[in-house]
Amino acid sequence: MNESIKEQLESTFKAIVVTISEDTRIVVNFEKDQVLAVLRFLKDRRFDHLALVSCVDWIEKKEFELVYILTRYTQDEEEHREQERLHLIVKTRISRQSPRLETVTGIFSNAEPYEREIHELFGVKFEGHPRLTPLFLERNYEIPPFRKDFDTRTYVKGVFDKIPFVENKDK
Amino acid sequence: MDRNQITKWLKAPAKMANKYSLHAIYFCTGCGIIEVPPVITSRWDAERFGVIPVATPRQANLFLITGYVSVKTLRAIIRTYEQMYEPKYTVGFGSCPINGGMYWDSYNTIKHLDKYIPIDGWIAGCMPRPEAIFIAVTHLWTLIDKDMANGYIRYKENYKLYRRNQETVLGKLDWPPLYPIHDNVKAVENE
Repeated sequence: MNESIKEQLESTFKAIVVTISEDTRIVVNFEKDQVLAVLRFLKDRRFDHLALVSCVDWIEKKEFELVYILTRYTQDEEEHREQERLHLIVKTRISRQSPRLETVTGIFSNAEPYEREIHELFGVKFEGHPRLTPLFLERNYEIPPFRKDFDTRTYVKGVFDKIPFVENKDK
Repeated sequence: MDRNQITKWLKAPAKMANKYSLHAIYFCTGCGIIEVPPVITSRWDAERFGVIPVATPRQANLFLITGYVSVKTLRAIIRTYEQMYEPKYTVGFGSCPINGGMYWDSYNTIKHLDKYIPIDGWIAGCMPRPEAIFIAVTHLWTLIDKDMANGYIRYKENYKLYRRNQETVLGKLDWPPLYPIHDNVKAVENE
């Protein structure tokens, strides 16, 4: 099954790199303009569960890497029923200077909170997302706090440590 | 009941009644809440010490903050604390509310909870054992006896400074001040 998915992906899309890292794990790398097409293609092949959307900051290469993990709810082929579930790790890279990507909420609607979270913590703008409002954070940060160039120690020293104690601690 | 405490009961019955019936509201932040179910149920049975969990802050007079406090949680903690009736006692549980603990350089975690609300006692540890809660409760009894568990009085006295710290972190608060701010400005600044 792994090989057939690999062949199907490679024959359909250009500039796509499919590696089978383990028996149950396939890594797919592709260009960022193909994200909707690849995810739609995989959803039509019954990879109907988007388990996770995550983001990695490759600061030296000046790129963000977006990771979509897809899997299936059921394995109904007879020969694979006993096997562990197959995971597809779908990766694409976008530039760090202007982080923009199309939203995948049209295909997987459960991507909405993940994309809001990535927008808040990494500053990636998802075009066409229905509501990119703050999800977790209460304060405004100059640099989104999960980027590698956000210095938490300086931030804590500048903000939380500067707040004085109300009462004298020696008493 | 201990016989030598009878005089205490006759002198200050309200204080003794408060002391032996602590109605606790557990603020379930972070990992500390995992210690609370065994404490209040049959394994350690907090009712031996008169501690009983209640549903809302308006019924409580003991406030246990169990675990790290993020900025968003702080807003809820302040609202909960201000809803409680006096006398009210707060206990910070675990090392995270004391000084940040393992989240000491986190971008979103309040390091010292006592900058924002007054704390009567701390339970150190990561995590403290359930027995530590009972040690804290018995210490709190001593403090109540000596009128040293006076966090709610200190909050009233220093309300301006507490409110200033709260607003520094949370921005403008969307509820009115609990106590009038202008009355106690001079008293605090002259100290």
